[in-house]
Amino acid sequence: MRFGIEPFLMLAAVLFSIGLYGALSKKATVQLLLSLELMAMAVNINLVAFARFVTPMTMDGVFFAVFTMVVSAAEVGLGLGLVIAIYRSLKSSEVTSMNELKG
Amino acid sequence: MNWLIAIPALPALAFLALVALPRELRNKMLWLPVAGIVGSTVLSLAAFAEVWPGGEESLSAVWNYSWVLAEVGGRPFELGVQLDSIAAILLVVVTVVASCVQVYSLGYMHNDARRGWYFAVLSLFTAAMLALVLADNLLLLFATWEIMGLCSYLLIGFWYELEAPRKASQKAFLTTRVGDLGLLFALVVIYNAIGTWELTDVFASVETWGPGVATAAAIGLVIGAMGKSAQVPLHVWLPDAMAGPTPASALIHAATMVAAGVYLLTRMLPVLEAAPAVLSAVLVIGAVTGIVGGLLAAVQHDVKKVLAYSTISQLGLMFMAIGSASVVATMFHLVTHAFFKSLLFLGAGVIIHSAKTQDMREMGGLRKHMPITWATFLVGSLALAGVIPFSGFFSKDEIIASLLHEHLVWAVVAVLTVSLLTAFYMTRLYFRVFEGPEQIEHLHDGHKTMLFPMVLLALITCVVGFGSIQFAAFLGEEIEWPSIELILMSSGVAAAGISSAWWVYGRRSTVVNTRVYKERMGRVYSALSLKLYFDIAYDAIFIKPFMRLGDLLWGIDRSAIDGVVNGAAAAWVRLAEGSWGFDRVAIDGIVNGLASFSRNTGSALRSIQTGRLQTYQRLILAAVVLFMLYLVLKGA
Repeated sequence: MRFGIEPFLMLAAVLFSIGLYGALSKKATVQLLLSLELMAMAVNINLVAFARFVTPMTMDGVFFAVFTMVVSAAEVGLGLGLVIAIYRSLKSSEVTSMNELKG
Repeated sequence: MNWLIAIPALPALAFLALVALPRELRNKMLWLPVAGIVGSTVLSLAAFAEVWPGGEESLSAVWNYSWVLAEVGGRPFELGVQLDSIAAILLVVVTVVASCVQVYSLGYMHNDARRGWYFAVLSLFTAAMLALVLADNLLLLFATWEIMGLCSYLLIGFWYELEAPRKASQKAFLTTRVGDLGLLFALVVIYNAIGTWELTDVFASVETWGPGVATAAAIGLVIGAMGKSAQVPLHVWLPDAMAGPTPASALIHAATMVAAGVYLLTRMLPVLEAAPAVLSAVLVIGAVTGIVGGLLAAVQHDVKKVLAYSTISQLGLMFMAIGSASVVATMFHLVTHAFFKSLLFLGAGVIIHSAKTQDMREMGGLRKHMPITWATFLVGSLALAGVIPFSGFFSKDEIIASLLHEHLVWAVVAVLTVSLLTAFYMTRLYFRVFEGPEQIEHLHDGHKTMLFPMVLLALITCVVGFGSIQFAAFLGEEIEWPSIELILMSSGVAAAGISSAWWVYGRRSTVVNTRVYKERMGRVYSALSLKLYFDIAYDAIFIKPFMRLGDLLWGIDRSAIDGVVNGAAAAWVRLAEGSWGFDRVAIDGIVNGLASFSRNTGSALRSIQTGRLQTYQRLILAAVVLFMLYLVLKGA
């Protein structure tokens, strides 16, 4: 049996929604970063799916996905570094304690 | 002959150098002005030698040099110096007297805190007087004339801490100013007539002016000379001028500056001769001044005031000599008077220094304590009283001779009256000061530096009278020895004056009591002691009305001018208040409005800034959702 594009897009949408929920609700910064990665992966799945089903000859979606993954890896590296630095100064890595910018 | 410029330039440079120095240094550098004036004296003697033997041709300039300063109306405008026999004589007289006075001042002012300034002004004065003598045009003459007036003012008011010198200096300056206006008027008239101030051009063209112009110019010149030479009715400043230092009085108010008016008229004699009526007026002015000065000198108690009124009286004699149009008589009396009157003033300075008072009623018996002063003062007194063979006798007789030559008998009588009065008041002064009982202790003679110039002047006074023939020849005229009748007449007058004064003041060896005579004189004495009402009259006629005018003008100022000014100020204040209100409401409103708007929007927007990451994310999400809704709906 062959799949169409819909199941992939559905999967990506579900993943994105989970990620968005996590990003909006988790208190732990690491969890928040994980959620962000989930959202980014959902987008990657979309990119690959569109590349396979809409422009199978050019593969530019695939390239784009590879780039995105590299960038999110760097992002996570940087993010975790920031989390450690903030934890050292605040003795906590929860998002709610990072309210220095409160107006 | 360019070195002539150095004659006035040396004292002027001394003045500039002293003025530039700080006071401490200035007081130590007194040798500088003295050196300057001594240098001038040497050069003046050299100039005199250049002119010698004088004579007719030296009455026109022996040497003349002009510097072109500018072009005025197409004509060169020149200032220059000239030397003729009159100038040569005056150069010597002025520099000799000024040297004597400067040396004397070294002693007289030796512990004054501002002696440097005193010497500086003395030098400036001498420079101005010498430049006046050498001037070859009326403008330079007028400028130096004014500088002399300034120096006179500065020296009369030298002790400006005291009220009397301050008042006297202002009085002198303002009174002579009246005369200066006359001189300025004469300058304007002359320039209007011929368009130049060169003396040679003035004399050359005086015949062509027409009677009115010459008379106007002559009147102006005479008024100028009356102010400077203290003739009635402009004489009131000279007695008050005695508030200054005595040596300054000797130089300025006895020998040189007051003679400048006489010198001016002598110089401008051709102009006066073109206006005979003015010349007669000069004669009358001189006679009145001579007699008034003599009368007032006879009732003064202040030694210096006696000499001051005496100077006024002697200047009156010089005016009479001018009135007889005799250059020789005028100049000769000017010269002899300069020497003996400055000598008398210097003697009076020693007396005042020693007696610590100027009132001769408190003096007496000074002869024993100050022999040299006594001897020199006696020489000066005898010369002034016209006793043969001292210089005053010859010059006064020369005046009488020239008046007789013009057949002016009444003027001769006036001169003899003046001589009588002169003999009387000088004898009175002598007996009051040098003879009679002593009333002051610790008397002593003056210092060497003060006595030396006096001895020198006394020697000159003894011998200069015999040079009258040569003097006249130097000025290009022939005169003779006084005739026997003249000698007897004037000696008789002098003897009468001296003996009457001796009768009152010298007869008894007790302190003189003159109340009897004063009561006998009655109203005459009271009129004389009130200076013949001149000062009172001026006070009533000029000063009080001026004060009232001043008060009136001040009232106008206060009501009108100040009203305008204060009104303008008040209007301005109101305008400012309005402007301030506008500022407060509009400008401040805008500024504060902006500020409060910013603050309000800020505080409103602050509520969004919770500092919580998730809030922001939610907001972003909401924005994205709304944006997508918009796109979807738009697409639909």
